[in-house]
Amino acid sequence: MKHRGKGIGCMWYPIGFTVLANPSAATVKVNEDGTATLLTGTVETGQGSLTVLGQIAAEELGISTDDVHVVSADTDTTPMDTGAIASRTTYVTGNAIKLAAENAKQILFEVAAPMLDVRPDQLEAVDRKIQVQYFPQRCLPIADVALQAQFVMGRPPIGSASYNPPTVAMDSETGQGKPFSTYVYATQCAEVEVDDETGQVDVIYMSAAHDCGTAINPMLVEGQIEGGISMGIGYALQEEMLFDDDGKQINPNLTNYIMPTSLDMPEIDVDIVENFDPTGPFGAKGVGEPTAVPTAAAICNAIHDAVGVRITSLPATAEKVLKAIKEKNGGEQKALPAAE
Amino acid sequence: MADDVKTKEKTESLESLRKADDNLRLPTVPERTLFPKEIGIAPAREQTPAVGQRATRPDGRMHGLGQTKYIDDMFFPGMLHAKIKRACISHAKIKSIDVSEAEKMPGVMATLIGKEIPVNSFGPSYQDQPLLADDIVRHAGDGVAAVAAVTEQQALDALEKIKIVYEELTPVYDPMEAMKDDAVKIHNGESNVYSSKTIIKGDVEQGFKDSDFIFEKTFTTQMVEHVPMEPHASIAEWDANGRVTLHTSLGRITLGRADVSRTLDLPINRIRMIATVVGGNFGGKNEITTEPILALLSKKTGRPVKCVFTREDEFISSTTRHPFVMEYKTGMSKEGKIMARKVRLVCDGGAYCSWSETTLGKACILSAGPYNIDNLHVDAYAVYTNKTMTGAMRGFGAPQVCFAYESHMDDMAKELGIEPLEIRFMNAFNEGSTSPTGQLLEAVVVTDSLKMASERFGWKEWQK
Repeated sequence: MKHRGKGIGCMWYPIGFTVLANPSAATVKVNEDGTATLLTGTVETGQGSLTVLGQIAAEELGISTDDVHVVSADTDTTPMDTGAIASRTTYVTGNAIKLAAENAKQILFEVAAPMLDVRPDQLEAVDRKIQVQYFPQRCLPIADVALQAQFVMGRPPIGSASYNPPTVAMDSETGQGKPFSTYVYATQCAEVEVDDETGQVDVIYMSAAHDCGTAINPMLVEGQIEGGISMGIGYALQEEMLFDDDGKQINPNLTNYIMPTSLDMPEIDVDIVENFDPTGPFGAKGVGEPTAVPTAAAICNAIHDAVGVRITSLPATAEKVLKAIKEKNGGEQKALPAAE
Repeated sequence: MADDVKTKEKTESLESLRKADDNLRLPTVPERTLFPKEIGIAPAREQTPAVGQRATRPDGRMHGLGQTKYIDDMFFPGMLHAKIKRACISHAKIKSIDVSEAEKMPGVMATLIGKEIPVNSFGPSYQDQPLLADDIVRHAGDGVAAVAAVTEQQALDALEKIKIVYEELTPVYDPMEAMKDDAVKIHNGESNVYSSKTIIKGDVEQGFKDSDFIFEKTFTTQMVEHVPMEPHASIAEWDANGRVTLHTSLGRITLGRADVSRTLDLPINRIRMIATVVGGNFGGKNEITTEPILALLSKKTGRPVKCVFTREDEFISSTTRHPFVMEYKTGMSKEGKIMARKVRLVCDGGAYCSWSETTLGKACILSAGPYNIDNLHVDAYAVYTNKTMTGAMRGFGAPQVCFAYESHMDDMAKELGIEPLEIRFMNAFNEGSTSPTGQLLEAVVVTDSLKMASERFGWKEWQK
């Protein structure tokens, strides 16, 4: 018989390295037509980070995502970056890029100020224009200002900057300290169906509410959450590297190491918790790793709700769940109807 | 008509040629892919302000059209293919390695063993891992020699001819066994425990005394692989100026370059590391694997050298997620408030440290959960075993401890007769809460996330 159950998993997760410096540097070049080129040493590893980083540069310069071309991951040409690790890219690299773009923008403001007959600190970059704050009718296209800066004033609008999250070392005996600059929080809820005759667990539905500060690109945040859940489902129910008595792996292939496929994916509802972190670029924190954190917990709690067994060792394979159900039922083997 | 036949014949002969090339595993001229030349730009990419836009990815189009060039798609004139010989024995002393027969094999241009590497050790915290084991093998996936040949098959065939004499050593696989004083020591040292962390906040014993109920449970987790779609892959090219260019699937080129510099004893400015669009990382591509080996093979042969891991290489020789043993003891008031918590974490660190230090540290801090606990004591240990090394993986110890603290939470809620959602609301961090390390937390939205996820789920109305 199949039993349904619901379970919840709640978590917190830090952004960046534990205490250790993990800086990023960036360079933003505004071209003479008002488009821009961003140089970053981080690597696009499939998560869409370069799109998000381009959006951060674009926001600071008041231009669109498509106006920024991102050059990345070449140690000869791009500035130092600690890399795609520790859910740090949006926060740390993003902060460096925001500062670099601010420096490039400052040159544009200094060039535009006499053209608009105001001081540089009265200007803002909005909608591909350099305009006077609170008096938007006095403005110039960013392209005109960039052209003026480069070819008339001889000041190419290029900015570089770096950022490193502020931390405080942990005490060696008590661990007290400020190991991270900021944290994110999330909850996932799972609905499962457990077959008490086979121990098979099916995840039917999951809801996920994740905090990432400002979602620079909500679509990519949703993608991360869905991907994290798929990884979490594998961790909860299927994946396990097995070793023989001689310490050799017995399932080092995708035939015997079982991972979730699209057919194992439940229906998922994703929500982004509204939040703003004053230390992040435009309030953003990060989302990469945390998405895979609470899934297994939520699923195992749902299994417990469904059939009353507590799985204390991952993964909750059908064998393990069935064994636990049998133990709970006093080791009685349920009589199966004889085959006709 | 006649023209059609001719074209068909031509196509067929081209195809059979391609097939023959495939069989030989020689690089072929790839077929031209046609793609629309006029591109449409998604409106979200052109809108301002840029932040908050659901902007599509510029690489998405390339992926969709199959135009993205991963390492495996890259070819350079004269390029060789490298393969690594794995130990297939989990703990042993290497008595001798003989590559002479392998070097005589057809197509083989060079071999490499650990002793030829200028500084044969690396690692982000401790440099305890050899690129190719030269003295002791510590897990079955350890590389012991490398071959560069004209084709992958020739390199594989040559691996079979490498003769290695081992003296077997007693292995230890269980981290709890490995922690014992009399356990075999995997690295020279007094203990297999290579990292330990402690967090102490408040007075945990007093907290237990003040509690109405004490709950204890032990949780364990398994070892898993990152399984990125693209396995580790690199191409090294040593040039006439003594500079080496590495195309690699690493997610951290700055650290990668520093590691290559250290292991090859080369100034950093003579190393260029270019990361392609990486086909999945999840923490598994934070460290070098074969890059310095390929650089030396390229130096020996004067040709570019490529190595793409097979799925098996990926499983047996790259980093994995730490299995944890987690002992939880929690004191609760009868109202459902967490009064005190004691946690002991043992993480199976595998044969080398890799990112265990970081994993242990994060697990330690996060093990209390997003809950206000005034009295807390966490002890955590990373232990060497003769298994595949464990390292960085999405969550750095957090999925392990989250499984434990959230399972534990539900058990306690059930015993106390409190609704699972309710007990979490009662204990969750709020704005200005103090973390286990004494940090004041801001922009805290634990309760908001609980509310949102449970409402979306329909938690209260849900019925079996």
